[in-house]
Amino acid sequence: MTDPKGARPVLQATSVTKRFGGLVAVGDLDLTIMPNQIASVIGPNGAGKTTFFNCISGFYTPEEGEIRFLGHPIQGLRPDQVTARGIARTYQNIHLFKGMTVLENVMVGVHPGLRSTPLGALLRLPLNNIEEEATLAHAYALLDFVGLADVADVLATNLPYGSQRRLEIARALASSPRLLLLDEPTAGMNPQETEDTMRFIRRLRDERDLTVLLIEHDMRVVMNISDQVTVLDYGRKISEGTPDYVQRDPLVIEAYLGTAADEVDVNLLAT
Amino acid sequence: MLQTRIRQFVASLREGIISGFIVGLIINFLILLGIPVNLTGIALLLMLLVALIFGVRLARRLHEHGFGHLLRNVLVMGVVASLLVLLFMALINRWQERNINVTDYFYSVSPQTMTVLSGVPANELFANPPRDPLTGAYPEGKALRTNPMRLTFDSDTGLELVEINLVIGGFYGFLIVLIIAGVLGTLLAWAFTIARLGQTWKRARAYLATSPQAHIGVLLLPLAFFALLWLTVGHGTYNAATGSYSTLNPVINLGGSAQEVQLLIGFGIILWGLVAVRAAQPTDSGLSYQARLALCLGIVVLMIGLGLWRIIGSRTYFLATSRALSGSETLSVLLTLAVGALLVVQNILGLRTPGRFETQFAGTGAILAVLLMPLYLNQGQNDVMTIVGINVMLGLGLNIVVGYAGLLDLGYVAFFALGAYSYAFLSSNQMQLGADGKPAGLKFAGNDEMVVRLASWVPVTVIVTLVVTYLGIKIWRRRPAPERRPWEHQRPLVAYSGRPGGGMTTLITVSAILLSALVALLLEGTGVYDRLFKSASPFMVGIVIGTIVSLLSGIALGIPVLRLRGDYLAIVTLGFGEIIRLLFTNLRDYTGGPQGVLEIPRPLPQGATGGVGYLTMVYLVLIGVGLIAFFSLRLKQSRTGRAWSAMKSDEDIAQSVGIHLVQSKLTAFAIGAAFAGIGGVLFAARQRNIYPNDFRLDVSIEVLSLVIIGGMGSVPGVIMGAIALIGVPEVLRQLETYRIMVFGALLVAMVILRPEGLLPAPVVQLRERARALTHSHYRQEGGEA
Repeated sequence: MTDPKGARPVLQATSVTKRFGGLVAVGDLDLTIMPNQIASVIGPNGAGKTTFFNCISGFYTPEEGEIRFLGHPIQGLRPDQVTARGIARTYQNIHLFKGMTVLENVMVGVHPGLRSTPLGALLRLPLNNIEEEATLAHAYALLDFVGLADVADVLATNLPYGSQRRLEIARALASSPRLLLLDEPTAGMNPQETEDTMRFIRRLRDERDLTVLLIEHDMRVVMNISDQVTVLDYGRKISEGTPDYVQRDPLVIEAYLGTAADEVDVNLLAT
Repeated sequence: MLQTRIRQFVASLREGIISGFIVGLIINFLILLGIPVNLTGIALLLMLLVALIFGVRLARRLHEHGFGHLLRNVLVMGVVASLLVLLFMALINRWQERNINVTDYFYSVSPQTMTVLSGVPANELFANPPRDPLTGAYPEGKALRTNPMRLTFDSDTGLELVEINLVIGGFYGFLIVLIIAGVLGTLLAWAFTIARLGQTWKRARAYLATSPQAHIGVLLLPLAFFALLWLTVGHGTYNAATGSYSTLNPVINLGGSAQEVQLLIGFGIILWGLVAVRAAQPTDSGLSYQARLALCLGIVVLMIGLGLWRIIGSRTYFLATSRALSGSETLSVLLTLAVGALLVVQNILGLRTPGRFETQFAGTGAILAVLLMPLYLNQGQNDVMTIVGINVMLGLGLNIVVGYAGLLDLGYVAFFALGAYSYAFLSSNQMQLGADGKPAGLKFAGNDEMVVRLASWVPVTVIVTLVVTYLGIKIWRRRPAPERRPWEHQRPLVAYSGRPGGGMTTLITVSAILLSALVALLLEGTGVYDRLFKSASPFMVGIVIGTIVSLLSGIALGIPVLRLRGDYLAIVTLGFGEIIRLLFTNLRDYTGGPQGVLEIPRPLPQGATGGVGYLTMVYLVLIGVGLIAFFSLRLKQSRTGRAWSAMKSDEDIAQSVGIHLVQSKLTAFAIGAAFAGIGGVLFAARQRNIYPNDFRLDVSIEVLSLVIIGGMGSVPGVIMGAIALIGVPEVLRQLETYRIMVFGALLVAMVILRPEGLLPAPVVQLRERARALTHSHYRQEGGEA
């Protein structure tokens, strides 16, 4: 943490390849994210963005290549091990724990940082008590941070959509991660909510000392908050750099807008 | 014109016709199952209940259309249902006429139904003689059981409605009753709607919750039920001088139904205890500390006094019934006083927080009422309580696996069986018969020796393992701290003082086990055990071994099914349950085979005769249920409980949030199995003889149903479910035959009406505590959030 900026990448993926049968979902992908950056992965539908996320967070094991987190390889680890090392994520379709309250959802997120056992819970051993109190306080503070403290005792599924997104982020933050993966955090939001979310992601980086990697479809968001943008198409990286650079890259324009003949696509994008 | 009106008229009766069809089909089904078509049994009330329920349903659906419309529909419902029954009966009759013996196919149809059908009095009916196996014909000259139906108006063979003999005989009376029941149901529902009883009920509940006096009344309900029990029980006095014992008549004499009513009151004590504890609100009652204390301690003193009076005055012995055993009496008095003292201390400590008054008050009352209850019940009633308690244990164990962790386990009975057999093997006094028919020694030879050995090995192993582990960690900590791995929490939530890694832990554990085995062996050589543990109670050893065995088998089952979910998991566990049962059936040489294990002793204190150990039994079960419920509640509000809950909701997401699925699942299986094991040990002790057939799939299904009906994941719900599904059928012995049917109907009804269960777990409210904690927590750390 005290490293001078840019000394060691938080995440370093080297020629990561993930295939499903004959389909190459992610092919030969290199990606480096430096500390305290907000990096974005964009690309048309089916470009392999979420697959890449799943490779990082341990749901998939890439066939080739290496993913290093803070210098240590993490490919092949189970999702819970990855989370315990400091990578947390959210999902494109919100996945909260049904039947649990907002506060409990965040408390589950604290899990990897705790060590008490069922026996400790039965006998209320000191370690268990300290942990339970700390968990409760920590979870509540996080809810306060994302602005959901007032609805802490409400069932998570009863929250409105925007709040559910924020709750999912709070749950991810609960494991005290170094790297946060956000899968389309502004999907389904109106412009005002999108604006709020952008500000919120910046706050995350600045106040919580996080590195953020996000998948996003909303170009305004991507171009506004990213330090670095990676563009995928058919599982391959076609461009990488600052938002300005990527925006002007002819390959990117082609991937998104098609060649000049494909007028229909432009119309589709505009809607 | 006329056509349209007729069509409209028929359309307006649509609901009634449909309901009539459903009612008719249900009643035909019930007749096939053997429910008699007369009004002498509770069974027929069930049929009328069907009509009643559908009447209510019609009223709820049609009440906007006006009363006349509704009544028309209900009448049509009654007619259609009756016609359907008539049609079915006529069909049976027709077959009878053609010499097709219907009773061969519908052998459950009761003789009463046949009487109504045929006009032949029940006592003149007789069972069919066996058919000729080759020709399929009945023996010559033997009449069939029923004669062709006579549409009789004879009141003698007619329907008896309690005491009024309906003038119209045959099953016409029944049809009329069916219509009347439907109309009654409608009127009931109509009155319900008119009087807005639903709203009144809501208002009443709000009043009970908000008005302090009424609320205290709710909290006192378990005690009120206890008082009721007290009034219905005859209190005896023992004259020490003459050694005679006289019983006084109870204040409320229940006569012949005392047995059942007292048992129901007993269930009422338990249920209202649960309700009262749940209704208790964590608000400040406004009473001073002294007043709160006086109220709570008043209950404790009163109830303990009642208990002592019952034990000493009526000579109800806690541990044995032999009146000569004054030692047991002293022991039970001491135990009662100890419970009282504990409750006093708990109240004094707990009541310092003003908001805890109601919980303490309701809790103390409920605990005491439940603890005193067995003293006022007789052996048969206490036996029912014991079996309900054992089912609660099973339910709570399955609740961990299914309710908390969401792993559908249909072979749960296996752990129950393992617990029961563990105790049986350790304690059975069954003699092996020699060739000459005389006893030739213990069948499970050497179990006395085994008990002594286990009684000595277990504590030694535990002690040595604990010491070695502790020392191992101490020594490990002395080493220079290793370089922190970079992924280890940079911002730890709680500052840990380091722990050995996986390899080191394994090393310490393995060496601890080896060392303890060595120490135990060495000690055994010195003969210390024989002197120390000669008098070890097989029950104490059995409960420890039974728990350990089922816990380990829970893990053993868990490992192969780790990757299975939902239906697949259910099928595999079901197989596991059957495997265990078949093993016990077929390994004759080791398990006694289908003949089971006999002569398992009941847990009794030293020197007590085994005459009536039922009080010991019921108290052991109560203590077991209390401990298991307590453990369940604490687990739920813990790191493990939250992990289970998350896993139940979504396994993949839970894993990605950082939950170790393997660990989490195995913990759930192990703890659930251990609870079942404890239940099994107590079951074996209660039954005294166990057979592999006691552990059929039905037990798993029953336990699962009680968990679902009570409320998945809810401890009070499971207790309520066990009372509803195990306890109440014991009271209504008459309905025993239809138990499984009622189970099914109840399950379907529950899923439709109350999918959460009878007493679902409340939504956890932690916000206030969290807020208070956050303030103090972050103040301590210098306000850094």
